[in-house]
Amino acid sequence: MISNAPLVEFLTALADDELLIGHRDAEWTGYAPILEEDIAFSNIAQDEIGHGLVWYSLLEPMTGKTPDQMGFERPSADFRCCRFVTYPRGDFAYTVMRQYLYDEAEQVRLESLVACPSTPVRDAAAKILQEEAYHLLHSKGLVLRLGSATEESHGRMAKALADAFPQALGMFEPLNSEGQLIEAGIFPGNASLRVRWMDRILPVLRQATIPVESLGSHDATMKPDLGGRRGDHLPHLAQALSDLQSVYQSEKGASW
Amino acid sequence: MTDTQWETWEVFHQTKRGDPHEHVGAVHAPDAEMALQMARDQFARRLKCASLWVVRSRDITMTDYQDATFFARTTDKSYRDPKAFDAPEKLHP
Repeated sequence: MISNAPLVEFLTALADDELLIGHRDAEWTGYAPILEEDIAFSNIAQDEIGHGLVWYSLLEPMTGKTPDQMGFERPSADFRCCRFVTYPRGDFAYTVMRQYLYDEAEQVRLESLVACPSTPVRDAAAKILQEEAYHLLHSKGLVLRLGSATEESHGRMAKALADAFPQALGMFEPLNSEGQLIEAGIFPGNASLRVRWMDRILPVLRQATIPVESLGSHDATMKPDLGGRRGDHLPHLAQALSDLQSVYQSEKGASW
Repeated sequence: MTDTQWETWEVFHQTKRGDPHEHVGAVHAPDAEMALQMARDQFARRLKCASLWVVRSRDITMTDYQDATFFARTTDKSYRDPKAFDAPEKLHP
């Protein structure tokens, strides 16, 4: 039987990824380039934060911390999200590219959890997968269209991929307890998820006519943006958290 | 100023199978597939929904509000109204 610590680490990383990407998506509310995308990103933001809540709730019996405490009371160094999801929202091309790369990774990660020996984890993954399928449809649809729509959109999407790719590799940064998690059958490990992810994104990016040659094969030579999984974050996370936590921190324990 | 938005698509929403699709509004989208996704976000997120239709707004042929005579009933047509029996309010079960 696996001790709780590796599972806590694993679920915290999962939940923190969802909370932060949701927060960054929510930053488009009122600002997206088109009304429908404003609503779509706000909707996706709520879904992602909702998924974070699912994982934080599963953690509560193991850590004794409520989802609110996990989201609003921890300092940035305690977060285990990858750096990728903490970057500022950038332009809309970057947002779309990040969301697409994230959605594909999320899909691969959740699919791998459907065989997890922990029933609550398995059930949560199956439930979340249903909503993620829609996110993927949306972000993939935009990548395919913007990749080849106009010279400007093509150029912006190509730049977005070049910027986002090394960051995105950070989604697959190994966890401390990677070995124990694989041994316990919780998930197949980040190296294997990364291979599956590459197999999915490359054909889509090619179809979108976005250049992928510089990404290398399965072993990209570029330096992945790592650190998030061990709490070594960029200042972006603290900045995001100061926004995200400000209301809660201004009146701790208030009931809403 | 030129309109830089995508073209509009009219959205028809069906609450449950067998019900008529009812017009609920319009969305901007670059093509039909995206229009359905946008329509889902605008109109099916809170409303119960069994099916959505989207139709390019410009594919709809409409009457002209100025052309009131198109609908004119200038002579007595009361003989056409169902008076001798009760018309059921709901024709669809």
